[in-house]
Amino acid sequence: MNSFDLRQEFEEFFIKEAWLLDNDKYDEWLDLFDDDTRYWAPVRENLDRGNENFAKPHLLSHFDDNKMTLGFRVKRLATGYAHAEEPPSRTRHFVSNVQILEKETDRVRVESNFIVFRGRPGKDETFFVGVRRDWWRKDPTGWINEERMVIFDHDVIESITIFF
Amino acid sequence: MSDFTSLVDLKNKTVHPRVFVDPEIYKAEQEKLFGRCWLFIGHESQVPNQGDYVTTYMGEEPVIFVKDRSDRLRVFLNSCRHRGVKVCRKDHGNTKIFTCPYHGWSYNTEGGLQGVPQIREAYHNDLDKDKWGLIEVPRVESHYGLVFACFDEESQSLTEYLGSFAFYLDLILRRSKGGTVSTPGTHRWRMPGNWKLASEQFAGDNYHADTLHRSPNLIGLGPDEYRGGTPWDTDFEAKCSNGHGWINFHLPSEDIPPVQAEYMKQLEKEAQEVLPPRQAALINGVQVGTIFPNFSILGFLGFTTIRVWHPRGPKEMEVWSWGLIERDAPPEIVEITRKMQCLTFSPSGIFEQDDGCVWGEITDTLSGQNRINYPLNYQMGAGHGKELADKPGLLHPPSTEIGVFGYHEHWREMMGRK
Repeated sequence: MNSFDLRQEFEEFFIKEAWLLDNDKYDEWLDLFDDDTRYWAPVRENLDRGNENFAKPHLLSHFDDNKMTLGFRVKRLATGYAHAEEPPSRTRHFVSNVQILEKETDRVRVESNFIVFRGRPGKDETFFVGVRRDWWRKDPTGWINEERMVIFDHDVIESITIFF
Repeated sequence: MSDFTSLVDLKNKTVHPRVFVDPEIYKAEQEKLFGRCWLFIGHESQVPNQGDYVTTYMGEEPVIFVKDRSDRLRVFLNSCRHRGVKVCRKDHGNTKIFTCPYHGWSYNTEGGLQGVPQIREAYHNDLDKDKWGLIEVPRVESHYGLVFACFDEESQSLTEYLGSFAFYLDLILRRSKGGTVSTPGTHRWRMPGNWKLASEQFAGDNYHADTLHRSPNLIGLGPDEYRGGTPWDTDFEAKCSNGHGWINFHLPSEDIPPVQAEYMKQLEKEAQEVLPPRQAALINGVQVGTIFPNFSILGFLGFTTIRVWHPRGPKEMEVWSWGLIERDAPPEIVEITRKMQCLTFSPSGIFEQDDGCVWGEITDTLSGQNRINYPLNYQMGAGHGKELADKPGLLHPPSTEIGVFGYHEHWREMMGRK
């Protein structure tokens, strides 16, 4: 498959993924992740140009989950006691600027920008903006996520109660 | 000048809703609390070398925390003496000089005004550079790695200020031979709600955990039923001097994941060598505390977060939170505890999210012109606290609001000072 087709495939794939998140299909969304996935969002730092280093050992992350802990977050929403998501937020994920960064035999590294709207009761409205850098593996069942690094463009962020 | 002392009713143990929503009170707090109390600045390990700096806030004021050329820790207002622009705009780094981006006045790490563009031609050499150094926060002291600063030159020492609370703080800071370091990066997030709601909760509100934080238990992340340790002995809350408060309870060893259990066992052994026995016996548990006015610490299973609840108007706070870990902790423990922190107490923390949501609603409802007339109840446990020989403070097993109200008693005292 050439890069153009692959890019198109991921654009469609991300539209479906966003649909799952915006329509309460968290269990199906969770199925996209490998057990050993790393779903994380390193904190941003205001430093000299070029000095920000997401690979810095032990750097704090807004979240840093594998499938098990991501699963905790999904299960928590269903308890009825995840008060920050009761009643549930209205979310809308917009995913764009999809680029294939690297291609291996059965793995691909894909980047995509996002804008996510979160509406809470009252005029409690938040936009989250950033980029996702993913590794996806081609499985017989479809694409499986091996890593998603969410890089927010926010410095001081709002409480993160939703998924990206 | 208003009298704020009547807002905390010592006899009935109530607090007036104005304390959490009133802009006039908020403004007075900047002077009476943030201008006079010891405020957390950073950890010594953030500035190991000469010229290392970190920028942070004391209340609403941006400050620079720097190690100068003779290894002295100093804190300056991050504001040029000429027009007030920030002279340091990075989170952290190393420098010999802080230069204002506006007109180029520059300052050394001792705060001295070093360079002034056109000092000869434009100022005719009339400018006395010695008088125009960075504004320095006069008091900077540290307690086993934690650095605090105070704007009040007359203030008691940090050691006196911490008072009996140091006994509890040291259960984390001094449980190992090497002491603690802070891990890289800062969680920074905004939460709705008055900053004191967070501070008071960490000072002694264990009562909320069973209800507000029920969801982590329901998904198997906590014991189904807390079996606990021994009331008064390992399970207690302590109201300490100066409004500080501590919550302590034992974690049953069967509930601890093996790697961390092993690590805690090793820490317990080390603690016996470095701490007096009555402190060493309390190492392994859930520990939560607040140093008045806005610094809190929380730890369990080897993971520790320290944080400041920066005031951002009466109805919003900005949390700055860091991880603490033993200097000699193996990298896998640093990783496990870091991930625990991200999962539990962070912008996405499955505990912390729900705290933020209720704090916001409190300040919303209390602003109502009718609701504001009805006081808030802090009566739980009043009169039932005890002083014990083996640990300081006024004690009571969880749950009690003796410590939470103690926080407001001290608020009352500070707000009443001339």
